[in-house]
Amino acid sequence: MSSLSSASVPQPAAALPDAVVATGQPTVSRKPRSKGGITATIVLAVGALIWISPLVLLVITSIRPLADFIATGPLAWPKEFTWANFTDAFRVGKFATTYRNSAILLLMKVPVGVLLSSMLAFALSKLRIRFRRTIMFTVFLGLTIPIYITIVPVFILLRSMGITDNLLGLVGPYLAFGIPFEVLVLQSFFRQLPDELIEAAKMDGASEWRIFFTLILPLSLPALVTVAILDAVSTWNEFLFALIVLNSDVHKTIPVGLLNFQGQFANNNTGLAAGILIAVLPILLAYVVLQRWIVGGLTAGATKG
Amino acid sequence: MATATATAGITEAAPRVRRRTKHGGLAPWLFALPALIVYIVFLVYPAFSSLFFSLTDWDGLSPAYNIVGLENYRAMVDDPVVIRAAINNVIWTVVTIVFPVVIGLALAVTLNGKVRGKPILRMLYYTPGVLPLVAVASIWGWLYNPDYGAVNTLLRAIGLDGLAQPWLGQNSTALAAVMVPAIWLRTGFPMLLYLAALQGIPQDQYEAATMDGATRSQQFWHITMPNLRPAHYIVLALSLIDSFKVFDLIYATTYGGPGTATQVMGTWMYFNVFQYYHAGYGTAIAVVITLVAIAVSIPYVLSQTKEHHS
Repeated sequence: MSSLSSASVPQPAAALPDAVVATGQPTVSRKPRSKGGITATIVLAVGALIWISPLVLLVITSIRPLADFIATGPLAWPKEFTWANFTDAFRVGKFATTYRNSAILLLMKVPVGVLLSSMLAFALSKLRIRFRRTIMFTVFLGLTIPIYITIVPVFILLRSMGITDNLLGLVGPYLAFGIPFEVLVLQSFFRQLPDELIEAAKMDGASEWRIFFTLILPLSLPALVTVAILDAVSTWNEFLFALIVLNSDVHKTIPVGLLNFQGQFANNNTGLAAGILIAVLPILLAYVVLQRWIVGGLTAGATKG
Repeated sequence: MATATATAGITEAAPRVRRRTKHGGLAPWLFALPALIVYIVFLVYPAFSSLFFSLTDWDGLSPAYNIVGLENYRAMVDDPVVIRAAINNVIWTVVTIVFPVVIGLALAVTLNGKVRGKPILRMLYYTPGVLPLVAVASIWGWLYNPDYGAVNTLLRAIGLDGLAQPWLGQNSTALAAVMVPAIWLRTGFPMLLYLAALQGIPQDQYEAATMDGATRSQQFWHITMPNLRPAHYIVLALSLIDSFKVFDLIYATTYGGPGTATQVMGTWMYFNVFQYYHAGYGTAIAVVITLVAIAVSIPYVLSQTKEHHS
């Protein structure tokens, strides 16, 4: 048990900070087994196709007219294609508003979250802070806390601050629930940076802040980007707090907006498909473009880098 | 460039080791406090505050309430929905851990072999994992639609008309039907972790085994599985933590229904607080599940707190 984080889970080369990201895109693993390459590939490819078939079906349905869908059923190849579902869904689902709200929230939350987390991670990994173990235990315990233990008091707190039904009200709770994971990843990353670097900078008279901003952060760019991306994904997807805190339509984020939309479009299957796609499109695009970082970050976070 | 500086520094490092035990004084706190304050205000304090509210009969609206001691906790024993929810939580936990872990491991082992297009395949299998849970719920609600859903249409198309049914709308199938999307979106994560772990297994172990005439399945059970033990532990711990938090998916697909068939502690807590105005009782439910979640994951948290050996 004690060796769980260091034994056979691959440890990125300690001296190379870029290694955390590299875990996602591992160096070629040369397998001596030459048999079955093609068969395995075909099996996995067919499996993958089945695995994402709900999404494929969603795309096809979203670009066919409702009448065509009803006439020939969900699995038939469309006879006609149309973009009308998207324009309808975009308007009825008020996606212009929910997109904007989710984007604003992202911009308010993610940079602050990454900065605060890296500061704490720096203190835990490179500065000799007192009660270090206690702080780490308390913060990492946050990984296990279900959000709903906090919602009643958080709601009261936000009401007393006058920021219910306000995107601003979500920033605090989102930060708090993001900190444990971010600190976990960042502190293990910072720890791999050689102490001598900091000692040398200190000898040159640099303050802790200077070291943090001009040495630690630039050297940790891959880890910071990974953490920021994962944080952005979970902020974009968060539902429970948003459901409780935001009431009026003008303030709703994508997940809450999508839920309302789902109710309104219950009998319009093609419109619903288009709406779901509109809601997930940014996250899917971001995933395809940034998957290297996402995969690396998830693995690093779990295995302590 | 970083490496160059690093190696230069190492030579001078030795004499300074002793000083490391000293604490850094005030400066570290300036770095730590902003995050700690946010964490305490929005997570630690609310969690303890809930502990207090769980001892009251507060309705969530009126300014006054009475302290009723452990009454809310006692009442949970007599609440059939809590019993239902607890059972569902256990079923949910077991099923949404076993299936993703087994499928994820199988995928990882196959992907780690000689396969073409590995990054693309890996990306495809993980895709459901990045979607918002509400969207996953919408997609599957749509697939399960009794009349126009793809699931029933497919069953009818292959001659299994008898199996076509309102999957989410009847007690007998609702919970299973909600767990399918959970398995779908959660399989990618164990796959990624196992894949990373598999790449850390030294190749010469397999080479030696092959020389000794060990079969593929012998190699799997005697080399691969023992080497994956740390990964198993992490996968299980994280999956366990995750399954206790179930809320979004059930809220957005079945709303706990039909009846109470798919209620879990999280949704039942929500309904009590925000629909029935039993805030005291609702927070008591939240406290119970939080304590269970913490209890089972303390070993994991402790392991993450441990010092690096280096």
